[in-house]
Amino acid sequence: MSTRPADHGANAPSQPDPTEATPPIPSDEELARMSTEDLVRLGNRLDDIEVVSDRERFPVPGTRAEKRAERQVALWFIWAALAGLAFISAFIAWPWEYRGPEDPGGFLWSLYTPVIGLTFGFAVFALGMGVIAYTKKLLPEDLTIQQRHDGRSQEIDRATAAARLVDTGRRSGIGRRKMIFHSIGAASGVLGAGVLVAAFGGLVINPWKQGKNSELLVTGWHSEDGERVYLRRDTGEAEEVVLVRPGDLEPGAMETVYPFKESQRSHPEELKEVLHSADSPVMLIRLRPNVAVIKRAGQEDFNYGTLFAYTKICSHMGCPTSLYEDQTNRILCPCHQSQFQANEYAKPVFGPAARPLAQLPIAVDDQGYLYARSDFIEPVGPAFWERNS
Amino acid sequence: MSDDKPRPARTRARRGSKMRRRLSGLLALGVALVAVGGLYTVFTPDPEQALAADPAIIREGQQIYDNSCITCHGTNLQGVPGRGPSLIGSGEAAVYYQVSTGRMPLAAQGANAERKPPRFDEAQIDALGAFIQANGGGPTMPVVANGEELRGEDTGRGGELYRLNCASCHNFTGRGGALSQGKFAPNLDPASEEQIYAAMLHGPQNMPVFADSQLSPEEKRDIISWIKAVGGANPSKNPGGAELGGFGPVPEGALAFFVGLAALIGISLWIGSRQ
Repeated sequence: MSTRPADHGANAPSQPDPTEATPPIPSDEELARMSTEDLVRLGNRLDDIEVVSDRERFPVPGTRAEKRAERQVALWFIWAALAGLAFISAFIAWPWEYRGPEDPGGFLWSLYTPVIGLTFGFAVFALGMGVIAYTKKLLPEDLTIQQRHDGRSQEIDRATAAARLVDTGRRSGIGRRKMIFHSIGAASGVLGAGVLVAAFGGLVINPWKQGKNSELLVTGWHSEDGERVYLRRDTGEAEEVVLVRPGDLEPGAMETVYPFKESQRSHPEELKEVLHSADSPVMLIRLRPNVAVIKRAGQEDFNYGTLFAYTKICSHMGCPTSLYEDQTNRILCPCHQSQFQANEYAKPVFGPAARPLAQLPIAVDDQGYLYARSDFIEPVGPAFWERNS
Repeated sequence: MSDDKPRPARTRARRGSKMRRRLSGLLALGVALVAVGGLYTVFTPDPEQALAADPAIIREGQQIYDNSCITCHGTNLQGVPGRGPSLIGSGEAAVYYQVSTGRMPLAAQGANAERKPPRFDEAQIDALGAFIQANGGGPTMPVVANGEELRGEDTGRGGELYRLNCASCHNFTGRGGALSQGKFAPNLDPASEEQIYAAMLHGPQNMPVFADSQLSPEEKRDIISWIKAVGGANPSKNPGGAELGGFGPVPEGALAFFVGLAALIGISLWIGSRQ
């Protein structure tokens, strides 16, 4: 759209600057007598709008061309309505319950999302196209220019507006009525503080409230009342409890195990929760018999024969380090490529990790099931300030 | 098991009586076969056991072993330092996996044995497996008519177990992934149901062993069912359309970013140019 230079006043005397040549304000009777066209023209002049051209697309109503344009526009809206109907029917009637790709009806199911998406999308698209077609084909072709005024408002407007505000404040007497002023301040201040408390209050936690049993220091393998914590495997059914026996693992095997206490057996939610807890997964590894083992000082009796249990949580950033290579006996962390030597107390041999993986002391009870003799003797996962090892 | 039978290696030494010895050997073998077969049908009706103990097949397996495997795995399956590991305890499953995927015989020593067209046919692999099984012991293959039978009922549970046990190395849709020092976990698309089952049973190369006591046969079947359900070998299985390699959000996001953004810029330019 073409723009006109700012100093148009000389070239277009029909477009007066509102400050110097305001159109005469009509009286109430004059207003009542004015036609719609007159009022539009007056409004344009007041708002500084110039109508450059205003041409009807079909000056003679009812021609064949106009009828055709009308049909074309209506066709879009009809399409939109039909697509909308199709969307509603598909949404209600199309098979939406999951079927596997090989099951009967699987292909039909796989079309559910595309079908409702396409029908709904086409309905919106056709509606939009209808509106565009209407403006392009049937609305008059007009070109209007409204002047934009640069700079700030006139000094007189600014001064009067400011004075009005100051006057309102003074006449309300809020400056004089100290009690109301202060109580308003108190009310809004408390409300604001309340919003802040609601937003950030939940973030203020003392992580050391429970002393030695604080969450960063203990894992799911911790037992407060001395109840025995067994090693449990995940069979894909959270409520099924399967304990682990040493013979279950062949040499060169690795299994992820979770803690289980007998008191949890009747609590399905707890059985489920422990499989998703962040600090509990332990890799139970059975080394091959001819592998040379080096144990860490103070952890000499943590293993059971060739079975070693290390936390799955990387000592670098807490990723699950479960890529176990059973020929090199290395445990890899996929996040930053740290490697731990499983037959040498899981000490880091490559990558950014600086500490070995924590080892879980395990033993076998008189029934032949593996259990944890205690929690890890050090916190699992990444370092934190209060960590003392 | 085959110690009392004449071995072909010995008969080869005396060429003159070779024919006679072979004939008498065959006769003895026939008698032994009938006896053994009869006894087995009486005591153990399990066909797999009878197959594993069939001396003729074991001998054929030994022929293959002596020709193709002995250099690296040694005369008594004990392995040769610096060349190949011991096969004691590897079992029939290991033989089936390694030979049917073409990984063995090895083309060259390296970080990983790679999949290639197999050198031996099914019967030869069975014979070799019977030989290794008879002399080293170890996990055996389940007896199925075809791979479809190894797909479990509960694909959803298979997915759970897959993500817990396999996904860390093989990626969540079986695309495979890198391990340390040039080793890698392979893409699971080309692997047949039997090969996946065998791999779980014996843990080839750096893969851990998942014995039946750890992952029950039903669980293994469920896992296979999941692998086959998400595998990219058949693109029509992806109801979401193009899978973009099955690597997840990175290629999908990159495509949305570059292609989508380019399209938006293009449309903007087109709209701007219409005035």
